[in-house]
Amino acid sequence: MASSAVIEAQGLGRRFGARTVLEGLSFEVHAGEVFGIVGPDGAGKTTLLQMLAAILRPSAGTCQVLGVDVRHRPSLVQARVGFMSQGFSLYDRLTVAENLAFAAAIRDVPQPALAPRKAELLAMAGLERFQKRREGALSGGMRKKLALCANLIHEPPLLILDEPSLGVDPLSRRELWRILDRARAGGRTIVFATSYMDEADASDRVMLLSGGRPLALGPPGELRARAQGRVYQIKASKAAGLEDALQAQPKVISFQRRAGDELRVQMRDAAPPETVEGLTAEPAEPSMEDVFTVASAGPGPPPPESMRAALGTEAPAHRADRSVIDAAGVTRRFGDFTAVDAVTLSVRSGEILGLLGPNGAGKTTLIRILCGLLAPTHGRAQVAGFDVARESAEVRARIGYMSQRFSLYPDLTTRENLRFFARAYGVARDALDTRTRWAAQRTGLDADDQKTVAALSGAMRQRLALACAIVHRPEVLFLDEPTSGVDPLSRYRFWRLIASLAADGIGVVVTTHYLEEATFCDRLGLMMDGRMIAHGALSDLTQTLGLQRASVEDVFLGFIARERARAA
Amino acid sequence: MNLRRLLAFSRKEVLEISRDPFTIGVALFMPVLMLFLFVYGISLDVENAPLVVVDQDKSPASRELQARFLNSGYFKLKAAPDDARSAEHALMRGETRAALFIPKDFGRRLAEGQSAPVQLIVDGTYASSAAILSAYGRAILYAFPGELRSSVRPEVRVWYNPQLRSRNFIVPGLFAVILMAFPPLLTALAVSREKELGTIAQIYASPLTKGEFITGKLLPYAGIAFVELLIVFAGGLLWFQVPVRGSFALLVAVGLLYVVCTVSIGLLVSTLVRTQLAAMLVALILTMMPAFLFSGFVYPIFTMPKAFQVYSAAFPTPYFLDVSRGIVLRGSGLAELWPSILVIAGYTIVVCVLAAWRFNKRIA
Repeated sequence: MASSAVIEAQGLGRRFGARTVLEGLSFEVHAGEVFGIVGPDGAGKTTLLQMLAAILRPSAGTCQVLGVDVRHRPSLVQARVGFMSQGFSLYDRLTVAENLAFAAAIRDVPQPALAPRKAELLAMAGLERFQKRREGALSGGMRKKLALCANLIHEPPLLILDEPSLGVDPLSRRELWRILDRARAGGRTIVFATSYMDEADASDRVMLLSGGRPLALGPPGELRARAQGRVYQIKASKAAGLEDALQAQPKVISFQRRAGDELRVQMRDAAPPETVEGLTAEPAEPSMEDVFTVASAGPGPPPPESMRAALGTEAPAHRADRSVIDAAGVTRRFGDFTAVDAVTLSVRSGEILGLLGPNGAGKTTLIRILCGLLAPTHGRAQVAGFDVARESAEVRARIGYMSQRFSLYPDLTTRENLRFFARAYGVARDALDTRTRWAAQRTGLDADDQKTVAALSGAMRQRLALACAIVHRPEVLFLDEPTSGVDPLSRYRFWRLIASLAADGIGVVVTTHYLEEATFCDRLGLMMDGRMIAHGALSDLTQTLGLQRASVEDVFLGFIARERARAA
Repeated sequence: MNLRRLLAFSRKEVLEISRDPFTIGVALFMPVLMLFLFVYGISLDVENAPLVVVDQDKSPASRELQARFLNSGYFKLKAAPDDARSAEHALMRGETRAALFIPKDFGRRLAEGQSAPVQLIVDGTYASSAAILSAYGRAILYAFPGELRSSVRPEVRVWYNPQLRSRNFIVPGLFAVILMAFPPLLTALAVSREKELGTIAQIYASPLTKGEFITGKLLPYAGIAFVELLIVFAGGLLWFQVPVRGSFALLVAVGLLYVVCTVSIGLLVSTLVRTQLAAMLVALILTMMPAFLFSGFVYPIFTMPKAFQVYSAAFPTPYFLDVSRGIVLRGSGLAELWPSILVIAGYTIVVCVLAAWRFNKRIA
C-alpha cells in the first residue's frame, strides 16, 4: 500500500568523501507509525534522519518523504516535516514565547491558530509558567520539551527526532514521551533515533543500525522472538569461577551482572551456556538490549584473545579496603549558579561508585573537584589521602582521569599516546616500556599497533583512553561518561574491564547517563541539580523507597518525587 | 518572498542582538576607537623634527640660516655641537632626524656672491618623512637669503587641501576603511554562530527560503552598520572638524549603500565557513587587509604595480574611498562620482546573489 507510506527509501546511502557512512537502506514508514532507529554513535542515525528531513542530499538511492522526492524537491519536504536535531536547536537569548512565535512565523502558522496551539503545547509540556524565561535559562529537559513544541506548532504530519531524550533527566524524558504520545494519537508519524532500548521497545517498528548498515528491522516483539533461546540468566551471588567459566566459552557473546545476583548471558546459538557446580542457566525473555547484542555479534568470530587475557585479575596493587575518597559538604558555585551543592560521599578501594544524573546535574564538576582540577567553594575532600584543594599536585599524581571526549592525540599511535601519558604522569624512564605494555595488555590493546588513533574504532579509542588513565597505576580512577556513544556490546566489555580493575584494588568513580549501567556499580550516587539526592547500593535504595523490584529509572524517579515533596 | 517569514526572522535577529550587550557594545565602540587611533596615530605631517646644527662659521648669515630652519616650525633644535663627528653620532643613535652643516667662510662667500655650500643630512630610515623633511629643507635653502636666484619663479599651489592637513585626507579615508572592517565581521559571526550552536537546523527544516534568510539577516545588520556609519561620520566631521565641501546627504546616502555592500560580504563569508573562528579569520583577510593596504587609504593605488591595481579594483573600498574623499575634499557631486557609486551598487547585488546561491539549506 504505497499510499500509506510516509517514507519510502530505496538503496539509500551517503558518503562523506571516501567514507561511507550509510549504505543500502531500503525501508518504508507507514502513516501513524512510531519508527525507532537504534544504534551506537557512528552508526549513521543522524545522517539518515538528516536525509529524511531533506537537509542532507543522499549520495545513493532514492527517498520519498510525504510523497515528495527529497533529492528533487527538498524545500517541499523541509517545509512540511518537523525536525528536531540533537542538542539544543532553539535560540538561547529568546524567551520561551518568542521562540515559539518565531517557529510559528517561519513555518507559516496562521496568526489566529498560534495562540490556542501555543497554549495547548505549553500546557502539555508544563512550560506555561516559564513563557517569559529565556530559553538558555531553562533546564536541559525543559529546553528539549520546548524544542519539541516548536516542531509541533505547525502540526507536521511527520516528526523526525534525533535522540530526543539524550542526556535528559528521567522525569523530563517521560514528559517528552507523553507529548509524543499525544502527537501520535493525533495521527502524526514519528521517526526517531535513540540509544535507549526501552524507547525502542515502545515503538511500532525498530531498525537496528550498525556501521551504516541495517542489522534488523521489524516490530520489537518480532525482533525479540528472533533472539528467543539465545538469552539466559543465571542466579548466583558473586559465584567464584562462574565469570571465568563463561569468559572461556566461545559461544558466549557477552554477559552482564544485573541488579543483585543475576547474570544475563547472550549466546551465539540457541543452546544454554555451561555453568559451574550447582548453578543452572534459565532461558530468559530477550530484551531489546539482548536483541542488539545478539544481532550485532552475528555468527562472527569471538572477541580477540587479548581481550580475554585482559580480564584476569592480578595481585592487588594497593592496600586493600581503605577509604580512597572522602568528601564532605563539597560545594562549587559559578557566580549565582551552584553547580555542586553540599555533596558528601566516600569510596573505598576496590569499589565502583556510579554517579548518575541528567546533563547539568553536576557530575562532571564534582569529578573535576575530586581530581583537584577545580577548587571547591565550600567543603573539603580527600582523595588518596590528600586534600584536593591544598595538595592537588599530590592528588593528581595518584589518580587516573578519563574524560567524556577521550583526550587522546589523534595523530599519534597507540604506543606513542601511552608513552606520552606515562611520561606526563612521571613514570620513570626505565619503567616506561613495562608500564605501557602492562596498560595495553590490561585493556586488551596491542601496544605495538602502528595505526594512529584517528584510524581506531570508537571502542578501541575508549580502551586506549582507559589505558592512558591507568598507565601510572593510580589508586583512584575517574571515568567521566566513558561509555557515551558506544554500542551495547562494547559497553559491556568495557564494564568488565572496569570491574577487573576494581578487583585490583583501584577505587573507581564513573559517571553515566545510561541508567541501566547502574547495575554494574557497587554503589550509586543519584545527582540532580547539583545535589546528591540519594547515595547507596541499588538494592538499598530500592528498599528505602519500599519497592520490591524496580528499574533504576523507577528508583531515580522515586527519589526525584521525594525531593520535590520535601522541597514543597 | 514571504514578508511575514522575512520579518519574523529579522525580528528574531534584532531580539538576539539586543540581548547581547557586549557584542553590540564592541560593534559600536570599536569603529570609534579605530577612528581616534588612526587620526591621532597616523599623521603624515612632519612637525618639530629634531635637528642638530653644526655652525663652524658663526657669522650673522649662518645664524640667520639657522633661525630660518628653526622658525619654520618643521624643525626644532636638538643640539648645536662644534664638530661634525658628534652630529654624526646623534644621527647614528637616532637622536636627531636631520643635521645641518654650515662650513667656515659661509657668510664671506655669500657676501662675495660665490656659491656657498651647505649640507643638510636627513635620516632616511623613515623614507616618507625623510622625503618631506628634505623637501622642507630644500625650500628653506632656496629661499635664502631671499633674493631671486633665477628668472623662473615657480608658484606651486595645492588645491582641495591647501594646508596639506593630513587629517582632512585621513578621516574620509577612514570612513571607507572602518565601514569595511567591522560590519562584515559582525555579520559573518552571526550566521556561523547559528551553525555552531545548531540552531540553523531548524531554519533548514522550515519553509524559510534562501532569499528570506539572506534578506532577513541583511536588514538588521545593515541597520547596525548604518548606526556605526553615523557615529564614525559624527566623530570625523564634528570632533576632528574635517570640513565637508560637497553634499553631506549624498555622502550618507552612498554610505548606506556601501554598508549594505560590506554587510553582504560578511554574509557571503558566513556561507563559506562552518565555525565562528573561521568566519572571523576569513572576514579579516577579505576585508581588513585589502581595506588598509589596497584601497588607496594610505598608499595611492596609482603608484602600485599593474597587478596590484587590478587586485585593488576587486574590492569595494577604493570606490567608496573615491566617493568619500571626493565629497569631503573636492566637493564633488553625482556628476563626477556616478561611476564609483554604480560600481558599489553592482558589487552589492553580485555579492548578495552569490551569498544566496552559496547558502544551501543543506547540512552538506
